[in-house]
Amino acid sequence: MAVTKVVEIPVTLEIPIGPQHPALHEPLMLKVYADGEEVVKVDINTGYNHRGIEKLCERNSFYRNIFICGRVCGICNTVHANCYVRAVEYLMDIDPPKRAKYLRVLAMELERIHSHLIINAIMAEILGFDTLFMYIMRDREKIMKAKEILTGNRVLADYMMVGGVRRDIDSVKKDRLLNIINIIEGDIKRYIKIFETDDTITKRLMSVGVIKPSQITKYGLLGPIARGSNIKIDVRMGDKYDAYDEIPFNVIVRKEMDSWARMMVRWEETIESINMCRYVLEHLPSDGPAVPDERRLPRRFPAGESFARVEAPRGELTYYINSVGRQVPYRVKIRTPSFNNIINSGFSYIGYSIADVPVILTSYDPCIACMERAVVTNVKRGTRKSVSLKQLAKGGV
Amino acid sequence: MEVPEKIKFLGDLVKEVHSIKPNRIVLEIDKENIRKAFELLLGNLGDTGFYLAVIVGTDHPDKNKISLDYYVITHPDKEVYILRTWLPRDDPRVPSVVDILPAALSGECETYDLLGILFEGNPYLKRGFFVSPDIYEKGIYPLRKDAKV
Amino acid sequence: MGREKLIGYSPWIAHFNTGGCNGCDIEVLAAIAPHYDPERFGVKLAPSIRHADILIVTGAVTKKAGERLKRLYEQMPSPKYVIAVGACACSGGVFHKGYNVLAGADKVIPVDVYVHGCPPRPEAILDAIVSLVMKLRKGDGNGGPRKD
Repeated sequence: MAVTKVVEIPVTLEIPIGPQHPALHEPLMLKVYADGEEVVKVDINTGYNHRGIEKLCERNSFYRNIFICGRVCGICNTVHANCYVRAVEYLMDIDPPKRAKYLRVLAMELERIHSHLIINAIMAEILGFDTLFMYIMRDREKIMKAKEILTGNRVLADYMMVGGVRRDIDSVKKDRLLNIINIIEGDIKRYIKIFETDDTITKRLMSVGVIKPSQITKYGLLGPIARGSNIKIDVRMGDKYDAYDEIPFNVIVRKEMDSWARMMVRWEETIESINMCRYVLEHLPSDGPAVPDERRLPRRFPAGESFARVEAPRGELTYYINSVGRQVPYRVKIRTPSFNNIINSGFSYIGYSIADVPVILTSYDPCIACMERAVVTNVKRGTRKSVSLKQLAKGGV
Repeated sequence: MEVPEKIKFLGDLVKEVHSIKPNRIVLEIDKENIRKAFELLLGNLGDTGFYLAVIVGTDHPDKNKISLDYYVITHPDKEVYILRTWLPRDDPRVPSVVDILPAALSGECETYDLLGILFEGNPYLKRGFFVSPDIYEKGIYPLRKDAKV
Repeated sequence: MGREKLIGYSPWIAHFNTGGCNGCDIEVLAAIAPHYDPERFGVKLAPSIRHADILIVTGAVTKKAGERLKRLYEQMPSPKYVIAVGACACSGGVFHKGYNVLAGADKVIPVDVYVHGCPPRPEAILDAIVSLVMKLRKGDGNGGPRKD
């Protein structure tokens, strides 16, 4: 097959809300080679966002690292901090009280809701459905308010500490949170109906980017991508960390294996998260103080290794800590779900048209909020031109 | 400790069994047997029986070795098993498994760029995968304990 | 002098993330969205960098991103102004000792307004834009257009 077009999709970490500034050259994220309209080969490049966090963690104390690890990703910062804190707690054999565990689950589930809302809004925007994008972003502001009531900040919660959480809630906050959750549930059900029935969405998403179950495990894809292809992996069910052994919930799995299934998995998980938040608020135990005494925190860290995993909105997130008994860790290894999902999934674009590439990429929920302009090179004619990802998704380059 | 029942077929390759917190089983294997271990896992558990979660490399200059861990998680019972191997620090090389298990691509490329472990047979290894040119042009691997960055 | 005053009536914004955690990006996104209504100040997202008046920089500037940032700044026509949003763009934030990080947008390009916070609220970002605009409308743009 002869290559007639090369499409370079760069990463400049910008969230799309309309026209953006044009792409500059390297570094690229996806380089797509096409014959006519059909994709024949994909190269994936990285390195743009590398901040050297693992080396930084080796130079700062265990407690300072909670803040560094929370800033690996702003959209899912609570789960990063939670996984690091639990790895440290396993190392030191600390078990926080149940009230703290329930509050941790509440913070993480609120974050799951806001993350799923953002990616569905971006998917609507890529398909050209701008009105839906605006509506979802407006409703997302309610969840940001809920996060602010619980943790004190809209985005970066900094809520986890070794032995518990940083703030407790009282009955006034509990009522306000319940109110917001009940309102947002009606909004989500409306959006699910739109995603199931609207032609713009179903015709562009169904049967696009099909991944078979055996490919999921061989290529190591995680999270909603795996659950959209009938592989039931969810760390909340597997490890039952924090309070997930007591809170009832379902793991959503779909059999269609395409991009539509992945987005529907995320919507249905949002409903499950809403039910979990309601259960936590109504059944909050009072067995001990949720906020540990700062002056009594342990100052000695025993030698040993620990491995903690958590279910981030995008998949399984893992932290490995190796300590040799000093005040700073010897090694911290962070593996984010997007690392596996984006780098290992180059095979899944082949055979689809160029217009499907942004749709498939968005259905993987890349945590580097990329989506910028793409540069299309027509190999036969020797021309290069810059198009937005939205135009690419509409076809006709 | 004993090799767990689920992966008894790896018994001959395992030199030692211990655990890290919280109750994750570690199996120590020679570096020449890593490929065989994955072939046995694929043969006995099947394509959808497990997945490779993460590859972790750690530099131990005091022992003059680099440790390399492969974290394997089975499906659907979700057990975590760690295959650990030790490599000599001055020439760390190990056969790549990316052709039989493509999930290893991301982990192997990252470990090569940050620690300098050569995965023989992986055509996608390159410097600059993560690290910027002004560091890799000096031949520095940032995660080594003696790297001056 | 006259050009700066004109910009003050309707500044167009370009946004560039240089390797951060995306926390500041979603707050910049919220600041430009209808909920906080920036259009009452005439603030709009520019269709391309050559139409932009103000560049918003977020993220701790990684080495690869630093080169792109410099080229982007050079492509902007004068008069141009830069707002560094977030602790990372101001001085590197928690990453200022990282080996791949240049620690602050002002190591690469001149910055006019620093907005602190991790991440700053959308109201703070709008406040920074408005205070820059107010200065421009008074004709007080740092003593004239930048000489570059």
